[in-house]
Amino acid sequence: MIDASPFAAAPARIPPRAGIGLRAPHYRELLAELPDVGWLEVHSENYFGAGGQPLHYLERARSHYPLSLHGVGLSLGAAHALDRSHLARLAALVRRFEPDLVSEHLSWGSVPGRHLNDLLPLPYTEEALAVAAAHVSQVQDALGRQILVENISSYLRFGHSTLGEAEFIAALAAETGCGVLLDVNNVYVSAVNHGFDPATFFEAIPPEAVGEIHLAGFDRVGALLIDTHGTRVAAPVWALYRLALERYGRVPTLIEWDTDIPALAVLLAEAATAESLMEARDAFAA
Amino acid sequence: MPSLRELQDAFAAALQEPSDERVLPWVVADRIAPAERLAVYRNNLRHNYREALRAVYPVVERLVGERFFDRMADLYARRHPSTSGDIHGFGGRLAAFIAGFEPAAGVPYLPDMARLEWAIHAVFHAAEPPALPVARLAALADTRPEALRFVPSPACRLIASRWPIARLWALNQPDAAWDDAFDIDAGGERLLVRRNGFEVELETLEPAEFDLLARLSGGEALAPALEAVRAVAPEFDLAAFLGRHLLATTLADFRVE
Repeated sequence: MIDASPFAAAPARIPPRAGIGLRAPHYRELLAELPDVGWLEVHSENYFGAGGQPLHYLERARSHYPLSLHGVGLSLGAAHALDRSHLARLAALVRRFEPDLVSEHLSWGSVPGRHLNDLLPLPYTEEALAVAAAHVSQVQDALGRQILVENISSYLRFGHSTLGEAEFIAALAAETGCGVLLDVNNVYVSAVNHGFDPATFFEAIPPEAVGEIHLAGFDRVGALLIDTHGTRVAAPVWALYRLALERYGRVPTLIEWDTDIPALAVLLAEAATAESLMEARDAFAA
Repeated sequence: MPSLRELQDAFAAALQEPSDERVLPWVVADRIAPAERLAVYRNNLRHNYREALRAVYPVVERLVGERFFDRMADLYARRHPSTSGDIHGFGGRLAAFIAGFEPAAGVPYLPDMARLEWAIHAVFHAAEPPALPVARLAALADTRPEALRFVPSPACRLIASRWPIARLWALNQPDAAWDDAFDIDAGGERLLVRRNGFEVELETLEPAEFDLLARLSGGEALAPALEAVRAVAPEFDLAAFLGRHLLATTLADFRVE
């Protein structure tokens, strides 16, 4: 006997539309209004608790929308072993909520015995590639599915890198079969911070690898752009998004907003803007 | 060229100790100095831990003010570094830390407030209490109390304080009006922190009720626990107690040994 999915009535597949991040202040309003948004994404770790309100609302939301689980704490690029209990909790969440997409960051955030709870940049070397590839494969094996790996915003680079970040991600995808979560805001932030042309980043990522796009807002602090996820998508990031749509086609696109969370209507308006750009691209391509 | 492990160890050390500069020569130096770039990560780290603690301990923050709280958070994060990629587990030792934190000595009820807020956090995320084992309740009447042990709900915590912390907590909620009659020296409180649906509730208990609940939650059998409570409160009504806490699933289950 095959167990029926508790979400059998809900769409499972994430459509090539815009989605929004589901955050606690919007639980009730979203479930009451059920707005026409393509899909939802949550931070996996926000649902690692044993019970209570977060899991309750996620279950209800999942019964109406397809879901993407986005992790921030697995530390794929750490030189030491992955945290098995963290991975087990993620696997349990994947089994329970049947997400269509599962993603993590191409970064590291821990040393043995200590977590830094941040998305720190790797040196893009063969050694780091081997470490990241082994960890991505371990995660995909544990979850029994493909994951997407996201490019981060970075504020420094290492002199001994032998690959660009985009070449590194492309190699990781080729080696492990993982997909790419292309964060267009992060490409822009890193491009400004390190002085490279964001178009070259796109050129290095093969279109068939890209399974999701992120859009978010940043802040400027002195000469550096800081990825804060606390504002609207900036004009140059929308311009880059148009370029990404040309290269990658219509890819599920998330409006990320994690700090200073605005009214739900603001997120929905940003999502509508992303969809209008998708449609404009389709009209142009037709 | 450093190994990945060497690089990450040096980077992590530099985030914690600004004087540790081993990582700087490996950072690309261009129009912005490596130290300035590294400082962004140091600020992010400090900010993330402050925000994580602020989210769990809003009343502690209100009682000492933002600047004091942030400084305390920075020192706490150094003393008790995060060990998980799930930041919700960070901050569980703040009450003990505050108890030994000399600058907070002037706010003697602060450790208890931190204990209360951590309990609220834990109860908020705890597993659902199991349903009342109605079918087995009849067995209670035929069971020798020496053989009866109770299982507390995962979504309950007991907190005793020599200060009126639940009252102080309520007065420091965002929409609460201050009560001029509040007296911090009005005496202690015994609290049951539990979930009602998905909301966390605080209930003040009488000493005997709190004591029995604490003993039963700690695994003591009913007979000795009740004897100890009745030594102080001879009139204690066991039937009312069990009825109430089984119905509210504070006591979620029982077993006969």
